[in-house]
This record gives sequence, C-alpha cells and structure tokens, in this order.
Amino acid sequence: MSAFAAIGKSARRVEGREKVTGTATYVADVHPRGAACARLVLSPYAHARIKSVELSAALQVPGVIAAFSGKDIGGAEILAIDEVYFAGEAVAVVVGETEAAAEDGADAVQVDYEPLPVVSDPIAAMKPDSPLTRAAQGESHDDAGAHGAAVGGAGTGRPKPRNVNQMVEFQRGDLAKGFAEADVVLEDTYRVARVHQGYMETQGSVAERAPGGGFTVWTTTQAAFGARDETAKFLGIPAHEVNVIPTQVGGGFGGKFVLVEPLAAALARRVRRPVRVILDRTQDFLVSHPAPGAVIRMKMGAKKDGTLTALEAELVFDAGCAPGAPTGIAALLLGGTYRCPNLDIVGYEVLTHKVSPGAYRAPGAPQAYYALESHMSRLADQLGLDPIEFRLKNAAKEGDIRPDGRPWPRIGLIECLEAARAHPMWRDRKKLGADEGVGVAVGGWGGGTEPATGGCRVNPDGSLTVQVGSVDITGVNTTFALIAAEVFGLPVEQVQIATNDTDHAPYAGASGGSKTTYTVGAAVLAAAQEARSQVIEMAADRLEAAPSDLDIADGRVFVKGAPNRGVTIGELARLANRFGSRYKPLHGQGRAAVHTASPGFAVQLCQTKVDRGSGMPRITGYVAVQDVGRALNPAEVIGQIRGGAVQGIGRALFEAMEHDEGGQLANATLADYTMPTAADIPDIEVVLIEVPSELGPFGAKGVGEPPAVPGAAAVVNAVEAAVGVRVKNVPIKPEVILDALEEGGKR
Amino acid sequence: MKAPAFDYEAPATLEEALGLLQARADDAKVLAGGQSLMPMLNMRLARPALIVDINRLPGLDYIRIAGGQLQVGALARHTAVASHPEVKKGWPVLAEAAAQIGHDAIRNRGTLAGSLAHSDPTAEHPAVLAALDGEVVVRSAKGERTLKADDFFLGYLTTALQPDELLTEVRFPALAPRTGSTFVEFAPRVGDFAVVGVAAAVTLGGDGSWQDVRLALTGVGGTPFRARQAESALKGKKPTAADIQAAAAQVAEAIEPDSDIKASARYRRHLARTLSERALTTAAERAAGQGGR
Repeated sequence: MSAFAAIGKSARRVEGREKVTGTATYVADVHPRGAACARLVLSPYAHARIKSVELSAALQVPGVIAAFSGKDIGGAEILAIDEVYFAGEAVAVVVGETEAAAEDGADAVQVDYEPLPVVSDPIAAMKPDSPLTRAAQGESHDDAGAHGAAVGGAGTGRPKPRNVNQMVEFQRGDLAKGFAEADVVLEDTYRVARVHQGYMETQGSVAERAPGGGFTVWTTTQAAFGARDETAKFLGIPAHEVNVIPTQVGGGFGGKFVLVEPLAAALARRVRRPVRVILDRTQDFLVSHPAPGAVIRMKMGAKKDGTLTALEAELVFDAGCAPGAPTGIAALLLGGTYRCPNLDIVGYEVLTHKVSPGAYRAPGAPQAYYALESHMSRLADQLGLDPIEFRLKNAAKEGDIRPDGRPWPRIGLIECLEAARAHPMWRDRKKLGADEGVGVAVGGWGGGTEPATGGCRVNPDGSLTVQVGSVDITGVNTTFALIAAEVFGLPVEQVQIATNDTDHAPYAGASGGSKTTYTVGAAVLAAAQEARSQVIEMAADRLEAAPSDLDIADGRVFVKGAPNRGVTIGELARLANRFGSRYKPLHGQGRAAVHTASPGFAVQLCQTKVDRGSGMPRITGYVAVQDVGRALNPAEVIGQIRGGAVQGIGRALFEAMEHDEGGQLANATLADYTMPTAADIPDIEVVLIEVPSELGPFGAKGVGEPPAVPGAAAVVNAVEAAVGVRVKNVPIKPEVILDALEEGGKR
Repeated sequence: MKAPAFDYEAPATLEEALGLLQARADDAKVLAGGQSLMPMLNMRLARPALIVDINRLPGLDYIRIAGGQLQVGALARHTAVASHPEVKKGWPVLAEAAAQIGHDAIRNRGTLAGSLAHSDPTAEHPAVLAALDGEVVVRSAKGERTLKADDFFLGYLTTALQPDELLTEVRFPALAPRTGSTFVEFAPRVGDFAVVGVAAAVTLGGDGSWQDVRLALTGVGGTPFRARQAESALKGKKPTAADIQAAAAQVAEAIEPDSDIKASARYRRHLARTLSERALTTAAERAAGQGGR
C-alpha cells in the first residue's frame, strides 16, 4: 500500500466546505426568476375509483395560478386518472404563486371517490378470497417479468397464488434427502417491516422552459441521465431537449431515481413559468418508493458437525401496487451465502394496495439476511456450536456455485468472519454482565455494473479537472480526485471534480448498486491515464526525450536520471491552450464497461443490554467488519460503513412504515416514523478487510450497500445472547421481549 | 407544510394581550415557545384566525421563589427551568423532568407554561404539576384565578383554560424536608415523547417511615394520573421493596390507558408498574440520603 501516493490515505470531502457552511445548493435552493410552486393533492383512499375532480374552488383561491387533474395533465404515471391504488397517490396538482397559496388551493380541490376493496397485507392478498389488486385485474406486466428474471431460476409448476405478480424459484439436489441426513432441523417464519430510506432532504424538482426550446430540470437525483430520459419520454420530446442539472443530494440511499421530474417539467410547459415541486416530509413519505416488507419462512437442516444439508425457504415480498420488488436477488443471496447441497427456494412478489417500493441500499438483502442470519445463529445454538465457527464451516468462497448456477468470484466472506472471531468484543462476550450479550450476523451484496465515461482536463495552473456524469451521494467525488491525483502524483487538492449536467457530462449510470467508484472510478482512472500519456507525449516533444525516459513528480515532467531537464504540467497546458499553438489540448477521455461485479461481504457484531423494565434493548457496542477490496479513501469508506450499520440498527429497533388494514400509513412524519439519532447509537468500530477485486480501480469493491445488510439480525441475535429471548419480527417491539421475559425467556 | 393564513399580533403588554384574547376569544391561539403550535399550524392540524405572540411581553420569563413557593412565569423556557440552581436544589423533580423534554433546540424555545396549556397526554410537566400539588395562575381581562392540576387538566389536549385566558404563572409549593423526588420516563429514542413517565416525591418521617408519598404519571390517559390509592397504601409504612412493588402493581391496575401507534394499553400498564417502582425506589433513596432515616 505504501506504493500509492494518494490512494489509501483519508482525504477531506471535496464538497465538505460548502456543505458545512450552508452554501451547497440543494434543489429547494433553486429559485428561477418567476418560479411558481406546486402542491400535490393526494388520495386518502388506498383503493378507489375517481368519480370526479373539481378544481373550480381551488382556482378561486388567491395566489393560485392553475390546477390540474390527472386527466388534464395526461399520463397516469404522475397523476392517477381513473383509479387510485394506494393511499397517498396523487390525483391533482395545484400551482400557486407561493407554497402557501398552492397548499391553500390543494385544500380546496374536491375529489369524489368511490372506495373499493383494499388489501394491505401481502399474506392476506395471497388468499383466494382477497380483493384483487391492479395487476391481477388483467393489466400486462411483461417488463416486470423481465425485471426479476435475470436472477430467477426455472419454475417447478408451483401454483401461482392470487395477487402474485411474479414467482422466483431455485432448486438444487434432493431436499427430502437433505433433511433426512440432518441431525437438527429448524423451521420458523420471520417478518421484516417496510421501511423508508429516510434521507434528510425530501424529494423535489424545479423545471423551466429552456430559451431554445426544451426544458431545464434541477433535481435531487442519483440518476441524472435516467431523470432526463424519463422526463423527455413523459413530455414526448427527444431526450436531448431535456437538460438535467443534478443538485447536491441530501441523502438518496436508492430512493432518488426519478419521481417528480416529469411532473415539474409538464407543469412548466402548461403554466409557461418555472415550477418548483418540493415535497414536504409527509407527502414524501406517502408518494416516494420505500423498501418492501417481507415475510420469510425458513427451514434448514444441519449435521452435528455443523455441515448444512438442506435449505428450504419461502419469501413473500410486498410489492405494493406495482411490480418491482427485489424477490429474485433476495432468494439468490439467501441460498448462496452458505454452501448447501439441497435447496428449494421460492419467492413471491405480491401486489397490495400500497405505494410500490423502490430501491433502498441493497434492495432485498436486509430482508433475506435477517431471516438467514437469525436462523443460522439459532441452528448454531441448537447444535451447540459457536455461531461464527458454524458460519465459517459453511461459508461460500471463490468457485462455490450459487443457486443461479454461477460460481462466486473471489469474495472475502471468510476473511470477514475470521476478523470478527478475533475481535475482543467476540472473544470476551461471555464476560459481560447480566442482560448483556453479543450477536453476530453476515450480510452481502452482489454489486452492480454499468458502463461509464469520464474526462480529465489538464489546466494551465497545473491542476486537473475531472468531469463526470455521476451524482455524488456518498463522497465518491473525493475518491475520483484521489484516483486522478494518484495517476499524476499530484496532491488531491490539485484535482477538481465537475459533476456536469446531462447536456455536458460524459455518460454515467445512476449512483446506486455500490458501483460508482467501481465503474465510474474505472472511467476516471482511464481518463487520467490518457491525460497523463498526453502530458508525457507533449513533454517528450518539448524535452526532446523518449516518452519512456520521462516521469512525473510534484507537478513536473522530467527526464529520469536528469531531473533538471523538465517542464511543469501547468506550462505544458499553457502551451497547448494558446492561440496558434501546435499542441493539442491536454484532455483525457476514459471509458469503462466493467460488466463483472465484485460482491462485497460484511460481518457485524452487536453488543446490547436489555432493560428489564421496558424490554428495550440498548446498543452498548458495535463492530462492523467489511471486505472493501481496497479502501481508496478510508475516511469515506468508514463513514459509509457506519452509516449502513446505523440503518441496520434502525431496521432492528425503530423503523417501520405502519399501515392499517385500510392501507393508511399511520406514521408519515419524522416524529412518528422513528429513525435512530446519534444519541441512540454507540461508537461503531469499523474493521476494514482488503481482499482486492481484480476489476475495480486499484482493487476497490463497492462498499455502499453491504454494511446496511447485517444489522437487524446482529441486533436480534444479540438480544437472544443477552436475555435468551428470540425475536422474530423486526423492528423489535420491546413489549414482545417483556412478555417473553415474564415467561422466563426461552433458555 | 405551510400554515393556513392567520392574523398575527405581538402585543407589548399583558393587558393588550388579554384584550386581544377577549376580543377574538373564539379563534385566537397563544404562541409562546411554539414547539407544539408551530408544527400543528404547518401541518394544518390547527387553523386559528389569530396568533397572539406573547414573546414580547416584558418580564414574563422569571423563575423566582416567593414565600418558599416556586413561581415560573409564562415565558420561562425548559432549559432555564432545568438549569436554574434554585429549581435544582428545591424542586429537583421539575428540573429532572424539564431536562428530559425533547432535544436542546426544543428545550431552548419551549416553555413550562406552554407545556401545561397544551396538555399533551405524554408531556412531562403535567405529571410534575400533579405530583407536586402545584397550581397555575390564569389571567383574563376579567380577572385572575388559580387552578390545581385536578381542576386544570380535563382530557386529551383539553384544559380548563378559557379561550380568553392566558396561563401567566406556574406555582409549586416548597417540598418538605427529607423529601426525595425524581422523574423517570421511557422513550424508545433519546428525545422522543415519553411512552410513560412518572413523577414521584417521597417524604420520610423521623422514624424512616413514609410520611408523604406523591406519585403522578403521564402517558397513561388523557390527563396526568395521580396515584392516590397507591400513595395511601404506602403512607405510614417503612419503605420496603415489597411494598414498593405492591404499590407499583396497584398503579398499573388503577390506570386506564389507551392503545395507540406508540404502545399498546397493556405495554403502558407494564411501564407504569416498572417505572413507578423505579421512581418510588429512587425517591425514597434520595429522601433517605437527606437524613430521612
């Protein structure tokens, strides 16, 4: 590692100053001249026919400019037209001079609904007498079928229950034989709540007609190009007529791809003024796409020596009112993390009358690993084996075949488990006092890929400008700066990052799937290397030396062995950026299409003390171990891991979107939807494991998603270690622990 | 998240404020710390036509002792109450409760009087007022009256405060010598509204027996619950763990909590028992520490 000049040393966030001084521009800070404000009117019913939308009273409200129903604006993607499928679905929108006027107008919109039967719970939805949801009413969902098929196995002719959009199945070996060989068989069902990404900045977009035609859209998104394409598609114009300017993102976590961009642009077109659509927290909770809840039945068998013999699982994902739940990836991870010769896994994507989920940090994995890792610790307990030894005995490694028939590439699961086993929190766990214990859990994520382009311009002042089309939601821009700095041997401060709008940016995919450093970073690396080659080539000409005889250090190109013969990078750029110059400008372009993922694994240890008065577990210590391939910017990687661990703890102890039987979300405020705050979280110790990727820049793997996966099971396993109570549903209700304690616990 | 339109007045004198309340009694709302009112306005759960902002009224932020009695003006903030040396010394339960309200930002703006006037069923201060036999001073253009907790708190977010009245002062009588007190609550997260909270004040006689016991709970109904039966059962006895447990169990029996999104009625009952036990134990220990034995 000492071979690197910049890589591997913690660097300050390139955008840190603007954020901490409050000068960063978020979407709500964008006020084009003459901008109007829009306010959505949301359905109070989870399922209803829209009989009429009466806008006249709204139009009488002072300050209201315009009001539109779904019919008026056209396109059920953004406003319902005939029928609503979840409580909170937008049915109308009011545009006003101010946010208050728009809200006054929205209050005055009269919508006549005919309520229709609702099914809110996915298990209830699968029953033969359940009300039918949207897809089950005969609409085609071909694209949805394709969505999960990428990871789905072949079907075995299982019947498809009511309201199930899609089934995923994986089989291997002989399940009955596997269970017959087992000394211990454990079966149970686990529930994981629907949770929200909980980003600090709510969603919003600002749109304006561009002078030459088309539209400019400022938005908080992880996917500038995706937002451009969707907006153009909705407006029926070519993609190049929409320019998306991505603003600073106040947290995305998978929740910010495309939401109100098309609406903002459509409204700007209709009212011929710039329009701001900034959601408040409650509307954001109601209309944005959270992480699905899941019900997972597990049955596993193992021999006395800890060898797994059979795994049977049934996953039910609550997809809300539209397909797209991550059932396939959940089933794949659930069946692929440990070696098991006999498998039967089936996943059901069930439609209900709720908003459809979107992505949230390792979509599907926290649900799958919660069930798997709860079960693994309980099996270890029943076998009388150490939970980490039991996992190590079965852990997948390079070459092991996953349920989809593909082999694992090089992964660091075993290295992470070994590091957790060696940690003092684990070694000393039996020395803790009363009601305190340590739990362990594994989590993993396959990681995404997507082609990307990057640019690297050499400036006359000797600095570099790296141009990307990816949005920085995690600190990746700082990592890009480190990558370019490493290539040129420059201090990281000499690299600026330009996150360009879609008119100007080199293409990059969405910042999601733990792939930004992995893929855009690879493009930036290639761009910087090309720029370096150009610098060397030009310097060779200037210095009359062979390129192979040149080296770069401290911002200067020089002849190896004759360091006095040299020229600064700035001087070269000045010569190239000059009237009449014979040198081409120094500008590297890099392209990358890394299409093999480097999966990342994490192991977390949670220490908890249960308060016998309230049943509430309090986290008293936490260790997060993760294979990151190579930590390019350790500060960023450690921060990512801590944040992920906190989100896992949130799933374990606090977070649930609570829907009643009528499909109403009961806790659509941050007072009622409780996420952990700094005061609820102990110091989280991060242990970095570096099993380098063969493909990622400098060996880096995606680090964003794995740390958000193991938390729920780690906490629940710690509760069992502390007081002998097994919790099956998360978030934990302390009342459940109390009840079990009063019955004397399980031990 | 924008409040509906309202008129706004920021009177400079108490008389002016009371005049406004009298003139617009039916549709006016008083703004002090705003920690409950502002969210209610912005979420459009409250739609008053007039906001009477009392923050410019002079001299209402006092915390003073008069005749052994603690008097807290309408504009004294939670932070001031929690950190006031005389409060900490003479009425520690009040300081302890104030310190458990929300977060710093909330405590820096929110007021004791406002908390009582708002009467959230899980707020800390209503239970303290009930436990300490405090009273509130209520003024209107017509005059002044004082009310005890039992007469002031009427139900969920409902008090005896009339629309033309302003809660101007909160009074707490001095605690007797050899009194130990505490406020304990359970909230899932630091800074959340309590699910259940308990204020306890215990006075020990010269022989170490329970001379006076006062116990009030929040979060177990629409109004603070003063556990008089449990108090009587303990009076005269010497403090033992068994008696405290029995009294706490009696509290849990006596209350009639509701289930809501935060907790089931059964869980609230359970918390009422465990927190009452903790509060009585701590209060008794503190009383003993002051030479009560």
